[in-house]
Order: sequence, then C-alpha cells, then structure tokens
Amino acid sequence: MTRLTIAIAKGRLQSDALALLNQFGITLSDDAETSRRLSIEDRSGEYRFLFVKPADVTVYVEHGIADCGIVGRDVLLEASADVLQPLDLPIGRCRMVVAAPADAKANGHGIVKVATKYPRIATRHFGERGQPVEIISLSGSVELAPVLGLADCIVDLVETGRTLRENGLIVTEEIFSSAARLIVNRASYQLKANALLKLINLLKDLIAKGAKPDA
Amino acid sequence: MTVQLSKIPNGLRYFFGREARVRRAIEETALAVFNGWSYEEITTPTIDYYSLFEQGMGEEAANSFRFMDADGQLLALRPDATSGVARAAVTLLKRRERPLRLWYVAPVFRQHAKSRAEFRRESTQIGCELFGASGESADTEILAIACEIFDRLNLPEDFVITLNDVEVFNGVVENLYLDDSLRGKLRELIDSRNADDLEKFLSDYASPEDSRRFSELIQLSGKAEVFEAARQVITNQRSRAALDRLENLWRTIEALSLSERFEIDLGDVSELDYYTAVNFKIYLRGAGVRIGGGGRYDHLTAKLGKSEAAVGFVIDLDALTDALLLRNQNGHESEPASSRIGQSGDCIATLREAIAARRRNERVLIKSPEAKP
Repeated sequence: MTRLTIAIAKGRLQSDALALLNQFGITLSDDAETSRRLSIEDRSGEYRFLFVKPADVTVYVEHGIADCGIVGRDVLLEASADVLQPLDLPIGRCRMVVAAPADAKANGHGIVKVATKYPRIATRHFGERGQPVEIISLSGSVELAPVLGLADCIVDLVETGRTLRENGLIVTEEIFSSAARLIVNRASYQLKANALLKLINLLKDLIAKGAKPDA
Repeated sequence: MTVQLSKIPNGLRYFFGREARVRRAIEETALAVFNGWSYEEITTPTIDYYSLFEQGMGEEAANSFRFMDADGQLLALRPDATSGVARAAVTLLKRRERPLRLWYVAPVFRQHAKSRAEFRRESTQIGCELFGASGESADTEILAIACEIFDRLNLPEDFVITLNDVEVFNGVVENLYLDDSLRGKLRELIDSRNADDLEKFLSDYASPEDSRRFSELIQLSGKAEVFEAARQVITNQRSRAALDRLENLWRTIEALSLSERFEIDLGDVSELDYYTAVNFKIYLRGAGVRIGGGGRYDHLTAKLGKSEAAVGFVIDLDALTDALLLRNQNGHESEPASSRIGQSGDCIATLREAIAARRRNERVLIKSPEAKP
C-alpha cells in the first residue's frame, strides 16, 4: 500500500482539516490534537501527518518530503510555491484585504506606505494597478501600523473583521477571498497517482455533499 | 568589496567522495547506453550568443548569466544544452547522413534557482538528440533509451515517464480564441492542476458541462483510457490530431511491453514554447522534483537555419545523483583495495615498486614516510 504524507498547517486550519479528513474515515488517535508529536500516523497506517507552521507546509510539499498538504491560499500566494493545487477546501475561509483608518485621506504623496505580513501579495496587488508603494514588512499586529503613522494602510487577512474595527480600520479593497487548498508535490502526483487521486476524489465528493468552498 | 575566499556562491556546490563516485557511475551508465544505440558524442561551447538560447528557450533564457563580448554582442553561459547541439546539427553537421544521433554531457547555468526545491544554479545535463527522423518510431527510440538508462541503474520499478503532446493544449487555445495573456493564465491553471479555478475560467468560453469535464481531464493521469475521456471533451481538429498521434505512440509503447513505465498526462503544459509535439517528463521515486524530460522540437531547427525533425531528452545528473544517494543512504560501498606501498621509507624503491604495480594494473596507495618529530 502506498502511504501518503500530508503536511497540515498548525493553528487555525489544523482542527478544521482533521475534522474534514475525519469525515471519510481518516482518524487519528484521541490524543493527537493535544499531543506534542509533530508526525503522526492515522489509525489505518495509510496516511502520515506532519504538523508544521503554515508557511512551511509549502516547503515540505515542494521538496516532496510531504506528498500533499493543506494550507491557506494566502500562504500559498505569498510563498509562490511550485506545487499543484488540485482542490479548494471548504475550510479556513477568510479575505485578503487592504484596510486603512476610517478617517484617512489620500496622503497626497506619489507613494503609499503599506504595512503587511504578505509583502509579495501586497507588491503584486499594487503593482498591477501601477500604484507605487513602500512595503513595510511586519510579522504581526499589523493593524497598529496605520494607527501610529508607520503606514498609510495595511494588507492583511481578515476573518471576522473585529481586530480591524477595534483599531479604527475599515476595509477599502478586497484582494481575494481565501480558503484552504489541497496542494500536491509534482513528482508525487505522478508517482503516487492512485493514492492521491483517491484522496482528491473522496474530498471532492465530500465537498459536493456538504458545504461548498468560497465561490 | 572583498569576498571571503572560503565562500562559494549560492546554488553552487562541490561533488566529492561518494557523491562524486555515484555521479560518475550514472554518467558512465548513460553514455554506455547512448553508445549502444549508436549515438555520437558532441561537446558544444559553454559560452554562446544569448540570441541562440533565446531562440531555443524563449523567455526562460533571460534567467541565464549574460555578459558582453568584446564586440558588444550579448553572450550567455549556456542555460541549456539542446540549443547548441541543434545548431551544430543543422550547420556543421548538415551534410551528415540522417538520422543524426548525438549525445552530450554538459553543465548548464542559471541566475536564479528554478524553485525552492531545485536550488542549483549549475547543473549537469546528460542527454541525447535524434535529428532527421519523425514519427513514433523516432519518439519511441528516445523513450526506450531513457528506459534503458533507468533499468541499468537498477531502478526499473521506480520511475515514471509522463507523456503529453503540446498540440493538445495549443488546439484548445486556438479553439477558444485566447490572446497571449489569457493563454498564459490558462496554461498556469492547467499546470498547477487547479481544477476549481480552471472551471471558473472556462465557464466564460464553454458550457458548464464541458468546463467541468475539461477540468477533470487535466487532473487525470493514466493509461490508454485517458484518450477516450479526452475525446469526449476535446473536439477541435488540432487537438484531435495530437491525441491521435499520442495514441499511436502509446500503442507502440504497449507493443514493446513498456507501458508499465509510462503515464499519459494531458495536464503537463510546462514547456510549451520549446516543444512542438510529444513531450515527456521523468519522475523518480524518492525525488521531489522531476529528474529529466524531453520531447519533439521541430521548430527550433527551422529557426536555426534548416527545418528538420528533432527529438531528444535530458536527465538532470545532479538531481538524479541526489535521489540515488538519498535512496541508498544506509548502503555500504566498499572502496576497492589498494596495495599499500612505501613501508620502507626509501623513495626510489617505493616509486619503482609503485610503477611496476601500475604496469600490472593494480591500484596502489603510496604511504608517506612517517613525519619526523
């Protein structure tokens, strides 16, 4: 039997992803979620799971250490990883947006300062509309930047919008809506074609029956 | 600015010891196979006109190291070996009898790594090219050579060669009247097997049913059954001709009992600018990236001065070496025994003994006289 190794983003997506897989019979031991082990086999031994940081899912899959992975589209676009993306999953829905202080006026300069954890996505977004930008890469609490005058606006992922509101920011543009994706290593796709297509088709059926991913 | 002399630039490396031996053994295996099929060795320049590579590779050539010649002409460190070999075939060797069969081992260079998993900026390509022969007989010859190399490397069960014909995609694009940017978008969606977005993209051009079926098709990798599924969705003449051609090739492969090693993969659209008909990629268990590929590139020869059929393939020697080393991590490999010479400490006697042993083709290892305190 071909065993598949699946890398899963720790955190926000992890329990949703496992719940989804659980629906077609991939189950982990009861202590899997609380355990600190980072590599776990499912009960059948058919799948091995790696729990890694979201941005590292693409790394494991790109190198073929994991055959496939579950990761948000935001991470995928930011990493511009060379992987296959055969399936959108109905979990981890959120939006990548541009947000600015509600009372912001155009700064009157020829350049906009953008604070973000997603420099690549932000660069591409503003680049496509010919807007010169200065990208300020931060690793967290991005909402603070426009409030304190470090940046004119932010590019960030929004789930409920609560953090934005509480910091006096409003969404000025939506760049894309993001959901989790199944990503697959290029070589594994050929070498473990049967096992992977089985997984993809099972997930597809499941999605067709249940909630649809973001339109 | 000074650079620390111990440093080596990104994406470049040494090969030494076991790595170097495995690498050399692969090379020797491959060239023995090429010679066995009556291919001749050719060595082409490492530095050449940039325009040559631009003709051959299109946009991808921009990733080469470029610099000016004394007369202002743009030169490049070879980013690919085929362009130079093809030019030699249609110029220097144009009067040679056809089919012309050539092989090469050549380092190639690029400014930026291809992806995070393919970090190399210098890698060595081993490949062969067949000029002046068209049709599935020539295509199959190339594929059979590739198979033989992996068989001889004791990997018969461990590799897969995926086959496609770029004209299947080109026919679809033509039929949808897509401009270059939309063609690029479509190519990207197919290449990443992004069925969900592909279906949305196609829904502007085709019925929902056709969009869905085409999206399923590009995720399908399989044997002869793929043709039937494809013909149900793809009806334009150009793609149909390509599917027929691919199916004929498949029948030939089946007749030779080689079909175990092959898959049809209509979603492989990564090198459209290069190939003109059949194209293929080679994957090896244990390697996360492809380790080789090839196909038919009849247009390139025309651009270089003489239109003629051309088909070939390359293996990425370094990627293959890495994969083999990874597979045999725990494998023991004993060094051949050497006669140790030089116990006496007498320099002349030692060397006389060594030279005599070498005449008998023995491996010798001269022991240094003990360092005096």
